[in-house]
Amino acid sequence: MAPQAELLPGTLDMVILKAISLGEVHGYGVLLRIEQISKGAITVQQGALYPALYRLEHRGLIASTWGTSENNRRAKFYHLTREGRHRFDQEKASWKRLTDAIALSLTATPREI
Amino acid sequence: MLFHALRSAARGLLARARSLWRGVTRRDEVESEMREEFAHHIEMRAADLERTGLSGAEARRQARLEFGKTDTYREHARASRGLRSVDQLRFSWLDLRLALRMLVKHPMLTLVSVFALAVGIPVGLAPSHLAKALERPIPGDPDGRIRAIRFWDPLTSSVAPTRYADFDFWSDELPAFAAVAAFRSSTYAVGAAGAPAAAAAGAQLSSAAFQVLPVPPLLGRVLSDADAAPGAPDVVLLGHDLWTARFGADPAIVGRTIQVGRVPHTVVGVMPKGFRFPSNEQLWLPLRIQPASAEAQLAPVRIFGRLADRITSERAQAELSATGLASLAEPDETRLRLQPEVVPFGLLYAGVPRGGLASMPEFRFVRLLTLGLLLVACGNVALLLFARTASRLRELAVRTALGASRARIVSQIFVEALVLAILAAGIGVGSIDWALRHVNLAALAGETALPYWLSLGATGDALLRAVGLAALSATVAGVLPALRITGKGIQQGIRYGAGRSGLKFGGLTGALIVADIAVAVASVSLAIGIADKAVDPGEAVRLAGIRADEYLSVELTMLDDGVSTGGPAAERFAARLASAERTLVAELEREPGVVSVTLADALPRMDHRSSPIEIEGVEVSTVGGPRWVRTARVDPGFFTALGQQPLAGRLFDQADADSGRATVIVNSSFVERMLGGGEAIGRRIRLGPRAGEGDWREIVGVVRHLGVNMINEESGGAVYLPTAPGRINPVLVSIHASADPASLIPRVREVASRIDADLRMGPARVLSDVYQGDWYLTLAIASGLGLLVGVLLAMAIIGIYAMLSFSVAERTREIGIRAALGASRRALVAVLLRRSLIQIAIGAAIGLPVAWFIVLEVTGNGESDGSPITAALGALGLGMIVVSLVGVAACLQSSPSDVAIQAGEALRRGLAAVRSRRRPHLEAPKTPMRERRTSPAMGPFFPVEADPRYPRARGGRSSARRSLPVSGHVDQIGAAGQRPAASHHDPSSPGSARAVGRASIPKPASSTITGFEGIDTSARPPIQWCRPAAPRNGRPGPARCSPCPLPTRSAPAWRPACV
Repeated sequence: MAPQAELLPGTLDMVILKAISLGEVHGYGVLLRIEQISKGAITVQQGALYPALYRLEHRGLIASTWGTSENNRRAKFYHLTREGRHRFDQEKASWKRLTDAIALSLTATPREI
Repeated sequence: MLFHALRSAARGLLARARSLWRGVTRRDEVESEMREEFAHHIEMRAADLERTGLSGAEARRQARLEFGKTDTYREHARASRGLRSVDQLRFSWLDLRLALRMLVKHPMLTLVSVFALAVGIPVGLAPSHLAKALERPIPGDPDGRIRAIRFWDPLTSSVAPTRYADFDFWSDELPAFAAVAAFRSSTYAVGAAGAPAAAAAGAQLSSAAFQVLPVPPLLGRVLSDADAAPGAPDVVLLGHDLWTARFGADPAIVGRTIQVGRVPHTVVGVMPKGFRFPSNEQLWLPLRIQPASAEAQLAPVRIFGRLADRITSERAQAELSATGLASLAEPDETRLRLQPEVVPFGLLYAGVPRGGLASMPEFRFVRLLTLGLLLVACGNVALLLFARTASRLRELAVRTALGASRARIVSQIFVEALVLAILAAGIGVGSIDWALRHVNLAALAGETALPYWLSLGATGDALLRAVGLAALSATVAGVLPALRITGKGIQQGIRYGAGRSGLKFGGLTGALIVADIAVAVASVSLAIGIADKAVDPGEAVRLAGIRADEYLSVELTMLDDGVSTGGPAAERFAARLASAERTLVAELEREPGVVSVTLADALPRMDHRSSPIEIEGVEVSTVGGPRWVRTARVDPGFFTALGQQPLAGRLFDQADADSGRATVIVNSSFVERMLGGGEAIGRRIRLGPRAGEGDWREIVGVVRHLGVNMINEESGGAVYLPTAPGRINPVLVSIHASADPASLIPRVREVASRIDADLRMGPARVLSDVYQGDWYLTLAIASGLGLLVGVLLAMAIIGIYAMLSFSVAERTREIGIRAALGASRRALVAVLLRRSLIQIAIGAAIGLPVAWFIVLEVTGNGESDGSPITAALGALGLGMIVVSLVGVAACLQSSPSDVAIQAGEALRRGLAAVRSRRRPHLEAPKTPMRERRTSPAMGPFFPVEADPRYPRARGGRSSARRSLPVSGHVDQIGAAGQRPAASHHDPSSPGSARAVGRASIPKPASSTITGFEGIDTSARPPIQWCRPAAPRNGRPGPARCSPCPLPTRSAPAWRPACV
């Protein structure tokens, strides 16, 4: 199991958007998918997932439909809206800029000064 | 890029709104979905855990644990949907039901609050309502395209008359108007066959009038172009009221001939009910003017028109300004400054600038004043609601404990206030609307009925604004106290369970009472001042040397022929009027018992016309505008008939009237106020357009002050203009009788009708009764003020009462302890009353100058010269005394009984407080911040008894001792001047006051002790405060003691250490 990573504030939404962008999924599935794609490095407090999901839905970034889950029960499946996809792309780009910048500054050597 | 950003923002907003809407409207569905989703999650997780080898039950338990608290997450979820704030502000039916129940449960409070707001809200509404009513389209103009054209005189801020020449000029030159028409109003004698003629108000309308105002007739036709042509047959159009009253609603009236004046006219039609254009007219004739005659060109007419399609008022105004005025044959320099204006029809009559009432600074002031009054009313209601809510503190505390948020409780109290305010607004606006519809205002207002197009009844717009004001009132009256109470009060309520410890309504209470008292003082003084001026019959006899009870005033009107304006017909009419008036004066003077007869357009004591004035050599102030005087046109024999001699110069002679010599006589007030007491004779003045005069006139005489208005006969400058008979219509005939003047009335009527059948006699009254004739105005003002005073006084009393009740409740413990320690009841009452008395005094002090200003302004009618000061002072003094007495009575009424009622309870609580000192967390008594601030400055006090015998004195007669459970011995306190036993107290140690308090009250053997040992309430022991002296040589010095101080301003309440 990979060592646990702390989620930076504000990054949970991005991770959830990523998980949902990979295909329509219900709440528990989002959780599993995050664990899966982060190779177990990110775990989300189970109950805390839902306020975040509702917040994204409230903002119109994701939408939901009711369907049937693997265990034959009624479950709510989330998918990305066009707006959500757009936002996710933006966030991804800005995150990349940030991480690149930070990585760059952390790898600086005295000679570069 | 920007477009994308905007679109995405809009989508986001839309999504949020949709989600919020769903959360609000389908709350249950959202909740159940959430539960289902959580359950699904836990089930899936449990299944996963089961696959790892856990038992079914253990897996489910583990899954639930991992998920966490579902309730908490549900709350978070609601918050993230933006629903929490909605929940908190949600006005439920429960709130409404609770509010309605509160209305019934506290009927007195409901009654008073509703009354206050039912007066306050319509008062707040009235100014803008009136302003809007003046500018509303008149009936028959649904698309609001009718406008009036008038002259505005910027120098005098008044409306100047437009002339026929202007109408003639503009009707051809203004393409912005589809049609322009003119009218002039008059009174006509209308005769039916076989019945005597009676007066009817009518108007001459130019031919386009019915194109401008296309109202179809009930019968026949309206007036046409052909009717106005010279030489056309004389025709008349009747109003519905005149048709029913005089002609029995005869359906065959069209085509019949009736008499208008002395000329037969053919009836061409009848107008529908309610049509009384332009103001209250009932008869319409064609306006025929001989354009050739110069006099006809100058005939004053009022002009109105219909805007052409797609032309705005502003565009028409621009066109009118560019077109300018007609040039008259005789140049008139006052016309140079006149501004032609396009205004709503209602402003044709009102002396209001083009922007309407709302553009006048006075109006803004009045609106502020009325809103201020509404705020005072709201503040008082707030106080009452605060009292009611404070009594429910326990309930609110419990609700808070059960999870109600502050916003939730505030919104509940707001709903209660809103229910009150809406009810009040409904009652207030509804009753005024009802009164406007059902009370005959015309009868109340004498002959000056409101114009038919001025509808003051409630409109949708007014109702909307009433609801807005109600919401504002509810916010002030409900949210303010609610915020106050839910601040710290709730917490204290929980802690003490007592419900109202330490609650105060802050400085607002005091400010409110001060405001109430101030306004009440001002209005009482004003009401008294007016009532004093208007009603006193003794005053009426004494008037500038004229025995008012010996003079009869008779109004005579020569009814108009209505044939034409200008030209020979008008001259014939004037000649007929002059001859009738001359004959009348001559005949009446021959009557037995008549001393003299004279003519004027206003007699002493009556309201004279006001006119702006210009004095030669005196600059017109650009800031304050022109000065105003009262004017009267009088017969040359006027002053002689009234027994007046000139104070300077001469009186009028016949030549002044006949030759039209430009002379005037002024009164003594005029000389003092306008000319600064200097030489008047020979100076020249000019009166503004209202008096119809534009020439310079020379002052030839000065007479005594004869009284120029009904409110105050003492002050006011007046200018008298000479006039010959035949120029005033209607005219006032003043008859000086040697005996009872009223007995002459039938005789005057007889003589008048014999001289000319068209000479109508109007109201006749003895001059001393003039005030009674104007009773309606006085009555309206006085009753309005009386109502206001009543409301304000009631509010002040309620405010004082509520505040005292609070004060008593809030200081229950203190009162108990004071009483237990022997404070006399009188001293207790004095302590409690002081604040209220101070507030009353401040209120009266503030109200005084305001009242002073108002009383001078109103009774002096803006022309005061200082003479009514004594009267005003009297009124003020009386007003202050009345209000103060009522206030003090309220204090006395409320507090002693409250003290008596509270005494038992207070004592019990006071002693409970002493007992509670054993408990460390309650050791430091909760004292208001103010006391905490002042206490350190007083040093570490500790109480001791002054009398060494005292600790053993036991009050056998104390009722407290017999009946109340008390706790704690106080008998171990040391004697005066002695340091308490070292084992109990070390004054050099810090916090010694607390130490003695604790040490001197040993732990009781049981929770109930049967005696209050050491304190004999009947003996009233002098309790002392002692301050330990600075230690000397390491040893504490002797304590310095002084009597327990009475509360002062800096330390208003008791000090906790003084037990």
